[in-house]
Parts: sequence; structure tokens; C-alpha cells
Amino acid sequence: MPKIKLTIDGKPVEVEAGTTLLQAAETVGIQIPHYCYHPGLKLAGNCRMCLVEAEKMPKPLASCVAPVQEGMVVKTNTDNVISLRRSVMEFLLINHPLDCPTCDQAGECRLQDYYMQYDKIPSRFHEEKVHKDKMIDLGAGVMLDQERCIACTRCIRVCQEVAGVDELCLSNRGDHVTITTFPGKELSNPYAGNTVDVCPVGALTSKEFRFKKRVWFLESTSSVCPGCSRGCNITVQHQESKVYRLLPRLNSEVNSYWMCDEGRYGFDSVNDHRVLRARINEEGVSEEAGHEDALVELASLLRETSLSEIAVVGHASETCETLENLQQFAKNSLKSRYFFYSRFDPPHPYSDNILMTADKNANQKGVDQLGFKPLSDLKSAVGVLVLRDLTGQEMELLDRLQIPVLAFFAVNESPLCTKAKIVLPIPSYAEQEGHFINVQGKKQKIVPAFEPRGESRLVTEWLNDLKDLLESAGQKKKIAC
Amino acid sequence: MIEFSTQTKKKLEECLTHYPTRQAALLPTLWLAQEEFGTVTLEVMEYVAGLLDISPAHVYSVATFYTMFHLKPVGKYHLQVCRTLSCALMGGERILDHLKKRLGIEEGEVTPNGKFSLCAVECLASCGTAPAMMINEKYYENLDVQKVEKILDELK
Amino acid sequence: MALVLTNRVGLKDSHTLEVYKKTGGYASVEKLFAMEPGTVIEEVKSSGLRGRGGAGFSCGLKWSFVPQNIGKPVYLCVNADESEPGTFKDRLLLEEDPHQLIEGIVIACYAIRSTTAYIYIRGEFDLSYRRIEQAVKEAYQAGFLGKNIFGKKYDLNVTVHRGAGAYICGEETALLNSLEGKKGEPRIKPPFPAVAGLFGCPTIVNNVETLSALPFIINEGALAYRKWGTEKSPGTKLFSVSGHVVRPGTYEVPLGYPLKDLIYKDCGGIPDGKKLKAVIPGGSSVPVLTAEEAEKTFLDYESIAQYGSMLGSGGVMVMDEDVDMVWALRNLSRFYAHESCGQCTPCREGTGWVDKILQRVLNGGGTLEDLALLKEISDNMMGKTICVLADSIAMPVLSFIKKFPADFERYVRSHSAGGKMRILG
Repeated sequence: MPKIKLTIDGKPVEVEAGTTLLQAAETVGIQIPHYCYHPGLKLAGNCRMCLVEAEKMPKPLASCVAPVQEGMVVKTNTDNVISLRRSVMEFLLINHPLDCPTCDQAGECRLQDYYMQYDKIPSRFHEEKVHKDKMIDLGAGVMLDQERCIACTRCIRVCQEVAGVDELCLSNRGDHVTITTFPGKELSNPYAGNTVDVCPVGALTSKEFRFKKRVWFLESTSSVCPGCSRGCNITVQHQESKVYRLLPRLNSEVNSYWMCDEGRYGFDSVNDHRVLRARINEEGVSEEAGHEDALVELASLLRETSLSEIAVVGHASETCETLENLQQFAKNSLKSRYFFYSRFDPPHPYSDNILMTADKNANQKGVDQLGFKPLSDLKSAVGVLVLRDLTGQEMELLDRLQIPVLAFFAVNESPLCTKAKIVLPIPSYAEQEGHFINVQGKKQKIVPAFEPRGESRLVTEWLNDLKDLLESAGQKKKIAC
Repeated sequence: MIEFSTQTKKKLEECLTHYPTRQAALLPTLWLAQEEFGTVTLEVMEYVAGLLDISPAHVYSVATFYTMFHLKPVGKYHLQVCRTLSCALMGGERILDHLKKRLGIEEGEVTPNGKFSLCAVECLASCGTAPAMMINEKYYENLDVQKVEKILDELK
Repeated sequence: MALVLTNRVGLKDSHTLEVYKKTGGYASVEKLFAMEPGTVIEEVKSSGLRGRGGAGFSCGLKWSFVPQNIGKPVYLCVNADESEPGTFKDRLLLEEDPHQLIEGIVIACYAIRSTTAYIYIRGEFDLSYRRIEQAVKEAYQAGFLGKNIFGKKYDLNVTVHRGAGAYICGEETALLNSLEGKKGEPRIKPPFPAVAGLFGCPTIVNNVETLSALPFIINEGALAYRKWGTEKSPGTKLFSVSGHVVRPGTYEVPLGYPLKDLIYKDCGGIPDGKKLKAVIPGGSSVPVLTAEEAEKTFLDYESIAQYGSMLGSGGVMVMDEDVDMVWALRNLSRFYAHESCGQCTPCREGTGWVDKILQRVLNGGGTLEDLALLKEISDNMMGKTICVLADSIAMPVLSFIKKFPADFERYVRSHSAGGKMRILG
């Protein structure tokens, strides 16, 4: 591609032909305000917030759509440009309800941000505003306030271009334009949550998230969605060890700017139904226990069996590091060669050619690379140590083979919690560091958003202590002899 | 379930041969639908979307963008009075006011017997023969109150 | 006076093929097919014919932008979506002389090597629609359209496509979107239609009046066309005169014709002995002229520009001394608020805002600040949007307030922001 040279605010810029002024400005760190432009979507050029000046051009240019030209002298910060932005802000706000105190977008609203930056004058609009419908449940967890909409059409484009469906449209015209689904139909695509992300104002909000937390209280942590083998890059937003929402994070090789709704709303397992204390199950009675008691009990259970005939069962949704630890423990402390894994296998997994894969496990490639075998291959063992969960079929298999579950490293409540002799709480993906290998073979890092909840401890920690216990007990025995 | 008559289906088939995409036939198809069903209801829009392999949302956005599609029922005689400047200079507003009084309805309404509906429209390109109105598809020009009365009397 | 466009107007059955042929119709065709397409473009360029839709861009030059041999069809779209308030000249040509338009279409298509043309006609036009449909049918039957037209190795298909009520579809890229079955939203340019237009293919959009001038230019030659008009604005043009004149109607006059003569001689002057107050010379979107300006200007692109206005579509709206300019402006602001497609922020919000302010002023609730605000809003709308609809109300607002301040001040005299009497300096 031929290169084009131009200057923006006095800075020399060299970019490929076809680059827009807005993109060219970004390469030299100049941010031009915008609403309708989104780097992951086709150009609309309608909000006019990104107008800039260029020498020899009679009219201001919409920088999101105007291509660079050789020798162009562009200015993005003159008094005139600033006043253009102020006037666009004024236009955007005349029919806007100005209901920030009750709007859930507050704190991440571009109308607020740019108002503070460019407008900051009292309204000169003294007429009756255009009234439209509010609090519309669009379906798919998306709420619409038509009065707050600035008609940027990002949500329409995200449905068309990401989900591949034409479910939203702008009806009518002039200042009566209104975002809507076909009347009577619901938004129903599995990527609908992205409409909320791309909405630069409070028109589209998440039914799940709205009014739960003002966004400025939230902390953000980069992570990877564990919902399927795609491994969409995400930001976990949380406060006080509670996840409030997941947002997609740009990775142009994996998920671009997007994520599916299944992944987006799949964080219940972090917040709810957690196993947060160890338990000892004896003759049908389940009792909570401190972690030392649970470990001592487990060590003694293990010692009653032939260690090398114990099988460990990892999980295709655990990190590579956890799986490695489990494997090392089996090899070194148990001298066992039985490494199996379980996986989530919902009966009719949804998949598409967009992001969602049929494999609802984050790290199938990880268990494969470490040489774990499917649990269905298990023929015999004196007992199993199980990570995360088992399927109903796998539990039946253990019953049939009369193999007891000696320990269950649990994140969430499961029938295994009563079946296993010892239940040890472990953290969710939001509370640990590690890696998943996605369907493309990319190894991606997750970062803990907060400390392990309750008394849950990393699998490594449990296994290290268990190893110590087993070794010290062995020594004692020797001495005793 | 609504469906085009065989004759309209034939017209649509012929119409489609004029365009490289099915979507391009949307306005002609909506016209056919209005001709056949009178009103472009949501049901009609979904039917049209199906015929042209496009989304109902798209049809809805188009049908609500253009002013000539009747989204609600209109009268047997749909009176559309021009209100733009050239007609207004020549007394277009008086014509509209007179019709409102005479028919007892406001803009956008239909008389209880379903005979007349009334609306104001923008420039009909009849400025040299102002004031003007359209009744259904037909232009009536150089109007005054007496002429309007005569026209109404003739509409049975 | 026999001119270019309206020679058959008034003849009995002028819209029929029979009368058209009898009066010299389709005579240009033999000459046309003896020329190379490039030569046709050159001939039209040298005629100086400028687009009659409103922008006044050189027709031949526009044609020359069409890229050749890129493996895509080339389209001609005929803009018959005549919707600019005060304009009704294309309607006359469609009703009275549809074959002249078809002959023009044949010439244009041949020049740009197009075999497909669409006539986008506004939905409200009933008689025009029936006449052009009928004329197209006749032309097909006569072998003037379809396969091997006029017995030449050249195919040309013409489809009449009805709009459905949207002023904005007269904007050429909105027209293309509408033809593709979409809302009439103007497109971002570049790319220009000549490069990527209808269905992404090279497309020329020409106005009915522009195309109707072509048979004359090919028949008689560019020089004959230049007999009329001025150096920069050659030829004749149709002017639709409406409002307060004795004989409103469509008049064909040479460009450069005095507006005063059009109003007072051709149209018989202002009725009831009233005085002229204002003239909008080129369709409602162009700046208004005072009586004094109107009586001095000539009807060509350059002369009108001297008075800060434009020739536009040639819709001449004449207002007598009794017209309240606030009322007239509010009438126009309502039109543009109604017709904004709603895409660009300044237009979507600005047209409605201006209309609401003017309505309030008209109802007696205006203040001096409102006039300043109207000017500022208009400035903020002009030149900031994808198409010029925003400019189309901004220009009237600015010119009305500037040229007829007394009308506006009368309304706001007794209303200051605090409700106190304000003394105007």
C-alpha cells in the first residue's frame, strides 16, 4: 500500500492510503471525540462529533470517514473545531432527557464526558422536547430508553455485522427517529449484549447490571472468558469479591471487540452456589471443617489405600498450571500414572461461526497437551481425586466400578459435594492466575480479580500441604518402625 | 395469514426482473401491498419481508420513513392538503381548516363512516396551481372553499 | 417562442409517441449512433449544459467521471423526484413531453455506455407517472427501448420506479439508497455515484430537465444551444413561478433573463395592484431576495450569486407586500423539519429546534435572544452534515432575518427574556 504523508496539529503523520483522518490522528496520539464511529464496525458518519478542519477545505470534515490525502494539513484543536464540538453537543442534548441521576450509564456516558470537555454551558433550549418510549424491554437482557438515544446506529450495526442479524432499526425520520425492533418481536441474537457495550449513551442498558452498582465503584481486571474454547478476552468488573459484569476486551486475533451473551452472563458461578469451606462427609453426615482438619482426614484416607492406584481427575475448564500441579502431585507424591479429566458436556451446546464453540470448556487443548485421558477410559482405581466437577455419566461409571471419590476440589455446589469423602474449596477463574489454551491454540492468561473467596485455596496450596502431610506421615511411620 | 392475489404475485414477479436484488423491489412491493390490502400493517410488512428475503425490521424502518404508506386505515377518500409555502400563500391553510370543520375531523383522522380521512402534506409540486390537494391519487388544483364543497359533493 | 424544452407543451396529445414523432421526435437518434460515446460527451460538455436539479454542475463533465471497462454495469438514474417547494417544472415535462425525456435518456445512456436506466419518480405524481409509464411502454413497442434499439446493436432497458413520499430522495445518493430498497438516507461522499453508485456500480444521476435538453443539443449542436443564455450559463431553463403573480406557471426562458421581466411581463405582475416584497428565486432552500434585489437580478447562476442567492431548481416563489415573513419562514422550517432524514445530528436536531423556536415566535412568545439563537443554530447546521438539507433551512433562516428584520422584530418587540418591554435600538 502506498503511504500518504500529512500533518495533524503540526505533527507529521505517515499512514497507508485509505486510512481515515481519525485513525491517522490516533497513530500520533491525538484522540478525536466521536459517537457513531466504532473501530469494529462499518462507518456511519452521522454523529458529526468528529468534525475537524483541513487547510484549503471549505467545510469541516467528518474525520471518521474522510480519507487522508497527500500533503493535507489537518487541525483538530482550533477554536473553531472546539466550537463545532460544542454545537454538536448542544444539538445532541436538546431532546435528551438529561436524567443522569437516574441513568445507569452515568460515569461511562460519552454525553457526560464530552459535555464536561466541550460544552459546559446551560441549555438554550426552551421548547418541548420530543417524547418517545422509555423502559422498553427489548429482549435478550437489553433495556431501551428511546429518549436517551442519539441515533448513532452502533447497535443496529453490531447486530448486523457481528451477529449477522437485522433485528434493530431506526424507524421514522427527522427528530422522530427511533431505535426499535420490529414491533412485537424481541431482540434474540446471542450477541445482543454487545449492543449495550457499544451504546455510547444510556439508551441501551443491561437488565442484568443496571442499578446494581455505579460504575465508578467497580474495579477492572483483564481476564479470559471460561465459557467455551474460544477464550474471548474480557474485563472482569468487580467490587468486594463480587463480579458485577463481564465486558469484552479487544483481541483482534480472538474475539475482536465482542463476546457472546452466554459468556457475558455466565459469571453466576463466581458469585453464587460456591463451596467456601472444606467439608468432611462421614456415613452420610456432612460437616464443615477447617482446612487442616480436612487435609489430615484426607491424608489418612489416602494412606489407607494404595497411593499409586489412585487416579486424579482434572478438568478441561481448569488452567494449565492447576492441571500441571495435579499431574505433578500424582506423579511425585502418589506415584500414580492415572491422569484423567472431566469436561462440561451440555446436551445441545450452541455454536456458530462467529465466536461460540460447541466445546464449553476453556482449556481442552490444555488437558490434551498434558496427556490427560477422558474419564470414560478409566477401568479401575482404588479411589479418585476430582477437580471441579463430574458429569452424571462419569459418576455412574465410578459407581459401577465401585471407585470412591476420596476428595473433591470444588468451586460450586454439586452432587459430588455429598458423594466425596472430603470436599476442599478452590477459587473460581476470577480468583486465580493461570492460562487457558483456546481452540486456536493460543495460550491466554487470566489474572485474579480478587483473593480466593471464603476459605477456598488454590489447588496448588492444597496439594502442597497434602504432599507435606503424606511425606511427614511416611517419615513418622518409618521412625515408628 | 395474508397473501397476494395471483394477479399481484404475477406483477411482483415481473417487477423483480427489473432489479439485480430482491431488496430493490421493496418500494414497488409495498405499493402493491397497499393497493391490495389498503393498509400496510405489521402483518403486511412481515409478509413483504418474507417475499423479498429481507428482515421485517428493515421493512419496518422503510415503511415508517416514507410518508405515503398507510400504516393505519384511511378513509375511502383520503384527502391530502398541501400546506407548504406556495399553497399557503394562496390560501392552503383555509382549505385545510374548512375541511376540518366540514368533515368534523382533525389531521390524521377518519370520519366515523370511514368515507373521508384528512391529512396535511408537504409540497405536491402543484405550486403554480395552488392551493392544491390530492384525493387518493388524483390532484385537485386551484382550490377555493366553493370548489372544495363541489368536489366533496361529487364524491359518493 | 420556440426554445429547447417546451416546444410541444400545449399540443394536443403531446405526450404520445405519435405526436412526438410527427413533431421531430427521436430525430437525434441517427446522428447519435453515428457518433462515438466520447464524442457525445464532448458535445454536451461544449454545450455548457449544467445540471438542472439544483446544483448546476456541468452535465458533460459529470458523465466523463464514469470509469470505463471495469467489469461492472453502468447505470443512469433519472431524478424525477421533484420535491423542492416552489418547483413544478419536471412535472410539466413528464406530463407533456415524456418522449423527449426518453430520447434524452437514450442519448445519456449511449454516452456513458449504460444499458439500464431507472426513472425515479416521486410517489405523489400520478398523471406524470402514468404518462411516463405509457411513454416507456410505447417506446418498447416501437423498438426504441429494449433489445437492439432503433435496429442498432445496442440494448437499453428503462424502468420507472415510484418513490413513496420523501423530499430527501431528490438528493442523488438518497435516491440511490431508495432505489435499492432502503430508507432515503444520503450517502457519505466520496465515493461519488459516478464511481460507486447504484448497487455499488458507476452511476449517473441526471435531472429530468437536464436530460430533456439533450435531444436538442444532439440535433442542433452545442453551438445552437449556446445561442441562448450567457457564457457561463448557456441555454434555456425552466422557471416555475408560484405565489403572488397574475399568471403563475412554468416558463422556459434563456438563462440570463431578467427576473423582473419574468415576474412583471410573463407572469403579469403582482395581483390586486400590490407591491412585491420578496422572491425566493430557486426553490425554497435558497436565500430569499428583497423586492429590490429581485428586480435587479438576472436569472443565471452567476448573477443570482451576486445577491447571495442561487438559481437552484428554478422555483420562483413570489411574495407580495402583505406576506408576513415570520409566518413564511415558519412554513418552510416545518417543511425541512418534516423532511430531515434524521441521520446527522445537526440536521436531525437543528431542523426541529429552528421550527419550534419560529413557531413560538409566531405565537407571540419570542424574544430578541431567539433571533440571535436562530442565527447561531443555522450557522451550526450549515456545512456540517452529509447532505445539504440542513443548509436548505439554514440559508432561508439567515436570509429572512437579515433581509426582513422588521418583520421579526415586530414579533419580539414586547417579549424580552424577563417579559419586560424591550426598546429596540
